[in-house]
Amino acid sequence: MPVLLDPEDTETKALHDYVDFSGKRVLEIGCGDGRLTWRYADRAAHIVAIDPKAEDIEIAVEECPAELRDKIEFRAARLAELDLPAEKFDLALLSWSL
Amino acid sequence: MVHALEKIQQLLRPNGILLDIHPTNEPAALAVRLIEQIIPAGWVNESDDYVEYEWADEALQRVVDSERFAVERVGTFEFVWHADSMNDLRAYLAEEWKDAIIDDVTAMRVEELLKLPVPDKEILVSEAIRIARYRRM
Repeated sequence: MPVLLDPEDTETKALHDYVDFSGKRVLEIGCGDGRLTWRYADRAAHIVAIDPKAEDIEIAVEECPAELRDKIEFRAARLAELDLPAEKFDLALLSWSL
Repeated sequence: MVHALEKIQQLLRPNGILLDIHPTNEPAALAVRLIEQIIPAGWVNESDDYVEYEWADEALQRVVDSERFAVERVGTFEFVWHADSMNDLRAYLAEEWKDAIIDDVTAMRVEELLKLPVPDKEILVSEAIRIARYRRM
């Protein structure tokens, strides 16, 4: 058996206990391979998910469920170099990344 | 880190939410579960990341002090990894957490516990994770 991360889903429960993602425009910083993204994406309106590691972003793009592809935009980028309009997001998620 | 939070402030709409999740600066606890009994075995040691988590906390405090964000709620939860063997755990750490160290005494203790004739057993690594919600001012 490979290493299993949080099969108890405590992280997902905490995430949804702290924030209602419904209809939100989300910026996820440090999304890695999308491990956390999949746990809330179904509720969000639109997600820009960034990570500086291009190989992790490639995995996230490959593993992105078909029904989420229209609403998640993965980018291999650092926050500082992100060129997006001001006040674009309702919610910013720092995913183990500050 | 403060620059990153300033950038986030620009990108969030007024009253937008910042949710921060990161481990606390407590080392991850290593234990072995034998059926329902959990036996502590030691710690996963690492230094750089824990210093960075302290810096992250300081940066968050600074943007709160400067009234860019307001703290709404802070808590912690336990994030647990499960592994069947030290080899599996070491392979995972080599891939995902390269600076982590499990000292020889701890590794031997885990191996000894896993050799006990118990049908249901596994290694548990528990990290304390800080979760905090902030409101953009």
